[in-house]
Amino acid sequence: MKKSLSPSTEKHRVSLAFFILTMVFFYAPLVILIIFSFNEGRSMNFTGFSFKWYKELFFNSSKLWGSFSNTLIIALISALVSTVIGTLGAIGIYWYHFKMKKYLEVISYLPIILPEIIIGVSMLMFFAGIGLPLGLFTIIIAHITFNIPYVLFIVMARLAEFDYTVIEAAYDLGATEMDALRKVIIPMCMPGILSGFLIAVTLSIDDFVITFFVTGPGASTLPLHIYSMLRFGLSPVINSLSVILIAGSLLMAFTSRRLFRYMFK
Amino acid sequence: MRKIIIWFTCMIAAFSCISCGEKKQEKQKLYIYNWTYYTPDEVIKGFEEKFNAKVVYDEFASNEEMFAKFKAGATGYDITFPSADYTSIMIKEGMLEKIDKTKIPNFKNIDPELISGIEYDQNCEYSVPYMKGASGIAVNRKLVKDYEKDMSIYLKPELKGRMTLLDDMREVMGLALKANGFSVNSVNPAELDIAKNLILKWKENILKFDAESFGKGFASGEFWVVQGYEENIFSELEESAKADTDFFIPKTGGPYYIDSMVILKDAKNKDLAHEFINYIHDPQTYAKFVDAFGFPSINVPARKIRTGKPVYTEEDLKNCELKLDLGEKLEMYNKIWEDIKVN
Amino acid sequence: MMKNYGQRYTYAMLFWLTVFFVFPFLIILVGSFLKKGLYGGFEFEFSLAAYTSLFSGTMKKVTLNTLFVSVATTVLTVAMAIPSAYYIARSPHKEKLLFLVIIPFWTNFLIRIFAWIAILGNNGLVNSFLISLGVFNAPVQLLYNRWAIILIMIYTSLPFAILPLYAIIEKFDFSLLEAARDLGATKWQSVYKILIPLIIPGITTAVLFTFIPAFGNFAIPDIVGGNDIRMLGNIINEKLKTARNWPAASSISMVLTLISVFMVLMFNRITASRDSQQKTET
Repeated sequence: MKKSLSPSTEKHRVSLAFFILTMVFFYAPLVILIIFSFNEGRSMNFTGFSFKWYKELFFNSSKLWGSFSNTLIIALISALVSTVIGTLGAIGIYWYHFKMKKYLEVISYLPIILPEIIIGVSMLMFFAGIGLPLGLFTIIIAHITFNIPYVLFIVMARLAEFDYTVIEAAYDLGATEMDALRKVIIPMCMPGILSGFLIAVTLSIDDFVITFFVTGPGASTLPLHIYSMLRFGLSPVINSLSVILIAGSLLMAFTSRRLFRYMFK
Repeated sequence: MRKIIIWFTCMIAAFSCISCGEKKQEKQKLYIYNWTYYTPDEVIKGFEEKFNAKVVYDEFASNEEMFAKFKAGATGYDITFPSADYTSIMIKEGMLEKIDKTKIPNFKNIDPELISGIEYDQNCEYSVPYMKGASGIAVNRKLVKDYEKDMSIYLKPELKGRMTLLDDMREVMGLALKANGFSVNSVNPAELDIAKNLILKWKENILKFDAESFGKGFASGEFWVVQGYEENIFSELEESAKADTDFFIPKTGGPYYIDSMVILKDAKNKDLAHEFINYIHDPQTYAKFVDAFGFPSINVPARKIRTGKPVYTEEDLKNCELKLDLGEKLEMYNKIWEDIKVN
Repeated sequence: MMKNYGQRYTYAMLFWLTVFFVFPFLIILVGSFLKKGLYGGFEFEFSLAAYTSLFSGTMKKVTLNTLFVSVATTVLTVAMAIPSAYYIARSPHKEKLLFLVIIPFWTNFLIRIFAWIAILGNNGLVNSFLISLGVFNAPVQLLYNRWAIILIMIYTSLPFAILPLYAIIEKFDFSLLEAARDLGATKWQSVYKILIPLIIPGITTAVLFTFIPAFGNFAIPDIVGGNDIRMLGNIINEKLKTARNWPAASSISMVLTLISVFMVLMFNRITASRDSQQKTET
């Protein structure tokens, strides 16, 4: 029907404009990165086209790759665990009343609010106090801890729009709690769960301050590595790595469509 | 659902394998916590080969963050590199192990004048000097023509908005104190006040206080005059640009630092740590080190072996004064620095 | 029946957060009431010095500056995020677009900021472009001031605002908007009176995810901030490292936490009243 078409397309034009603006805003620095990864010189002035930083990346940067793989492992594991814990927690908090609820709500807010440097130092003191050796393991623990609130909030925002009657209907039809969870709740919350997971990965990949304090000897992550190179010339090798990373993610996103559909279903 | 879990596990396994590759050693391990890019890779590799060991090398960018980590309880490192003021703090806090000089025969190569002047660690019981150096002022000669090699450059209005100072309280206050003829370790309120007013005048002309990107900024032409460490600045410059760059230590002087190698109390491999310290002061090794960064050498035999020229020399540092720990008096500096930053 | 199981869902979270967050948090809380150790750390002696030192002119100024920057960032970010999230939620390619939004943020934060410096710096692209066009003779100082901080903060916060908004808009019943149009509402009326109220939980989350990191941030002001502004995050950093005053760093963090909690509760109250207003109207 014509009448309902025009409002929707009109609306879309404004939001489309914003969306495009946002995308330009997001990708502008990336374009710079890409251009400079092919720069002959090291400085921020473009002097000539060259592949030399890519060569250096692939043949001369074992430390960088080590940090990079650490970062990915940490990000995937911590995002996975925090998504599971956070989603279950969100379901529990949103629909049920129980004694510790207020307490739980408060401590769920706090990790987002406290400054990272304080969380970092206090976690270090805690780990040192209980004698836990620092390293990849402590980094993962720390990352899970600060990721949980983000997942929690996103899933809860999603649950707010949830129609509980669907679940009641499922129970009426004889579903067990597990069934209701696996076949109704989780699939319907998937956009929220997924957003939460993506945010957790993003936060983990980029975290510097907390990781700095809780890391142990030899456990370097990409942000730590880059920060340590900061004073000493951020080698354009990093630009090349970023370009590879982006290319890889885009490739993954657009070619593995089936996997994608399945994940997002 | 199951497929996702399998997919994840595969990815994690794949990445674990990459980092596993590094763990197959049965060699001895030495854990070093050093300033970023302060020891050339070839020196580390040389050590690894000579002693059949593996060096695990982590980095920090300031004494403060290194100390905050150790103070909060971090362990696992054998050697670290504090500056003089923090060396004395770490000694007072009982964080360091006494050094057995019989295991470091190369200690004799260090300039005796330097050693005898060390007060923060008498007789070098807990530390072995690594490097003596100072921050300086770098000037882009293509864009800045007429200037004196002292702090008056920061009062030039035509350079407004093109200069930076280090975001480092002791460094900047040290320069201001020296410019007025006072000590960099002064705790006299009147002197500190005069220094503060001078810094406020400088602040009007600088773009920002910067401790991280002064090198990059200078190299890209964003900043024309920076206070910084020569190794950071020169490593960012293309060969051609180096000729147009002037790096000087102000005539009126400033703070200098001595960075030392120390062994931590809970170090796992103290013997290997001693070997490393000894190895650094082998003249061949030390010459490689100072050549890589353009530093002046505190190792006497190395001075003859080195092939490059230092960016600044011992001579240049004659008006400089060692930064020492101020203890409680640090509060006075903190207040002034906070005042300068906020107003 | 279900009322009892509810708790079980939260056990994992309860355990994890209590052990790994509450205990460290208590260390800081207690620490803020202790005396400063000479070389950092805490001395086990009760002292309010950390809190009394907060009532200085500089702290008030810094707090106000920080509030200004954080509020400006939040307002602009959420304002930009809502239309973008809306577009993604209504698009047939929503998953791909969502991924596109996230991917730039998997490159490192520091690198992206330096890329922005390359764009906005005195020798950067924008200035070179403007000068070559003859619009200006000398570079315009775009960086190293509070607006640069706000811009970069918006840049880093947008995905964290877009994602929760997307999550909630996706579930939204768009036919409601069309129904409103059919009943004579204008485009903006239908957005303002129907869409916005129903996505308030998403907006709240977006505000939370933007305001709070902005308020406690120190890296961005450090790199692109200039001399005209000092933020709370920088002060905490300095107190902890340079001044070695752990109790003071802890007390400022506590105050920061309280202010943040207060702002969030206020926001919740405002939106809750709109929400109930909404509910009574329908």
